[in-house]
Amino acid sequence: MIEAIQLNKKFKEKIVVKDVDLYLDKGESVGLLGPNGAGKSTTISMISSLLKPTSGDVKLNGKSVVKTPADIRKVLGVVPQEIALYQELTAYENLKFFGRIYNVPKDQLESRIQRTLELVGLKERQKDLIKTFSGGMKRRINIASAMLHEPEILILDEPTVGIDPQSRNYILEMIRQLNQQDHTSVLYTSHYMEEVEQLCDRVYIMDHGKVIASGSQPELLSILSNEDTMMVQLNQTSNELITAILKMDVVRNIEETSDGLKIIAKKSSNIISDLVKLVDQHNSKIINFQMENPRLEDVFLHLTGRTLRD
Amino acid sequence: MISVFLAQLAKERRNPYIILIFIAASIGGTLIFTGGAQSPTTVSIFSEEENAQAVEEKWESLLNEGSDIHFVVADPDEARKNVQQGRSDVAVKVMEDDYQLVTASSMPTVGYVDQQVRTVFEQEAFIQGAIAQSDDSEALRSSIEAQLNQPPIEMEVLSLTGEERADYDMGTQLMFAFTLLTAMFIIGFRVNNILKDKVEGLWDRMILSPLSKTGMYTAYIAYAFFIGFIQMTAVVLIFKYGLHYDIGERLDLLLLALAFFTFSMVSVATLVTGLVKKPEHFYALYPSLIPMIPLISGAYWMPGTVTNPVLTFIGDLFPVSHAMDAILGVVMHDATLQDITQPLILMVLIGVIAMGIGVNLVERRTG
Repeated sequence: MIEAIQLNKKFKEKIVVKDVDLYLDKGESVGLLGPNGAGKSTTISMISSLLKPTSGDVKLNGKSVVKTPADIRKVLGVVPQEIALYQELTAYENLKFFGRIYNVPKDQLESRIQRTLELVGLKERQKDLIKTFSGGMKRRINIASAMLHEPEILILDEPTVGIDPQSRNYILEMIRQLNQQDHTSVLYTSHYMEEVEQLCDRVYIMDHGKVIASGSQPELLSILSNEDTMMVQLNQTSNELITAILKMDVVRNIEETSDGLKIIAKKSSNIISDLVKLVDQHNSKIINFQMENPRLEDVFLHLTGRTLRD
Repeated sequence: MISVFLAQLAKERRNPYIILIFIAASIGGTLIFTGGAQSPTTVSIFSEEENAQAVEEKWESLLNEGSDIHFVVADPDEARKNVQQGRSDVAVKVMEDDYQLVTASSMPTVGYVDQQVRTVFEQEAFIQGAIAQSDDSEALRSSIEAQLNQPPIEMEVLSLTGEERADYDMGTQLMFAFTLLTAMFIIGFRVNNILKDKVEGLWDRMILSPLSKTGMYTAYIAYAFFIGFIQMTAVVLIFKYGLHYDIGERLDLLLLALAFFTFSMVSVATLVTGLVKKPEHFYALYPSLIPMIPLISGAYWMPGTVTNPVLTFIGDLFPVSHAMDAILGVVMHDATLQDITQPLILMVLIGVIAMGIGVNLVERRTG
């Protein structure tokens, strides 16, 4: 359906996006995962025809979007990262405005507004001004505004930034419903890997403007097939101990978390016994030990040596 | 396009106070600076000469002859105190053959008072000069006055249409000057909605819709025009029908001139919008630039007061001076459409050039 081919974007001398290839099939849900500043927003701005690529092309059903942006605009709904709504207008007035600019037929506008308000759970608050809404409610109307014209493709740029867990779950459930029930194709960018894990069939991982890995979740996790992730809780920890663990041949990475140490190591039969000995030598004790299934976060850590929130 | 216009209007309807405040400011400013509903301005005069009383009496009578300003003798300390405390803009210290203005402000009225006083002093100096050459001063003064009453050649000043020319009314001029000034602010703030909506991401959302960019710009510009024109029309109607100001018989031509001014000013505001990146920058730049334009354009002064060629050139680059030409032509000289064609064309020219550059800059600023 949509295909980005060798997308590049330079701002003055700074390369923001480099050689990005990406595709989105009909009814698919694809995640674009990466830390802040990875180039996700610039990439989707180019895909949505808001920004012209320095080089490369975006094709919608084989036709260049760069040359004829009007085609994609008819079938596209974009939810920007910022709350792009008229704060002085009510939720209803905002939706009416977006319905009008997207040429929603007059006889359908009212019913679509009511249906969309119902979907985002704000039908009761439709007469209230946006500026009186909580962050989560504003985000929901922000998404609703992009849905009124019933787009075939929905691009969402970090739609859950800065909101409470309840609103976040609501939004994620809503997007899942759109994708699975209405078969809307979804391109979802986030730096929250759990959201991408929950929603997306395929994932592109971006860092420093480049796609560093892509594939379905099992495909990406297979990158770590020869590694184990362990959570180790100690009664006391020290820098010396962390350094010593890191010096073990099999250990690839170590991260201090609130629950203890997260250790990524090469699959090895004697890692646990070696680790117990080392901890003992440093006068510490293991309180809890847990083998973890690898997650996308670990894939990112493996590929970049950093966490998504670094 | 209509939907963007209506959304702007809905925002205004939700919060109409700014427009109402600007209308009130326009009316209030005119009434304050012109001393009420065309009532004469009162200015204190005093003397500190040895023969203060005689000097004061002489100049009081001369200054009040045929002047629309009412000069009254006051105690020197009280007159100074009134100026110091802002109760009056200006007082005049009169001497035997000279005068000094006591003022603490640069209000337009000060220049006007200065001009009136100077004219009287210059005329009196001329008479005194002639008297000095004569043996019989009383006879000479009587002779001059008699000749002035029955001059050998009489000049008649007529309006452009051949009718009797109306007296120049500074109050009406100031009324329009303040109306244009406040309209410039409101127009600018509404054009700035383009930048506000860009920063808030609404502009990008509109670009991604089937709306054309031309349609988007047209909507914002048309809205700024609509609000500016409505504000000025409301003020003019209040002055004409509420406060009974004499603004001539050609309300249609007056509104036409205001419409041309509004278009031109919307374009200038678009140009300023193109010079800045954020709405906050606009709020810093525009209000510091705008009050200077009527000053340079001579909107607050009697015609002919601003003579510096550099200043008049700069003033002519902005629509205010041309709007004032057209408006005062219609109001005070019964000008016809043909008479005001030139200032109207100049406003269109400024508008087209400023709009072209402005839109181009706005587009470049945001890539």
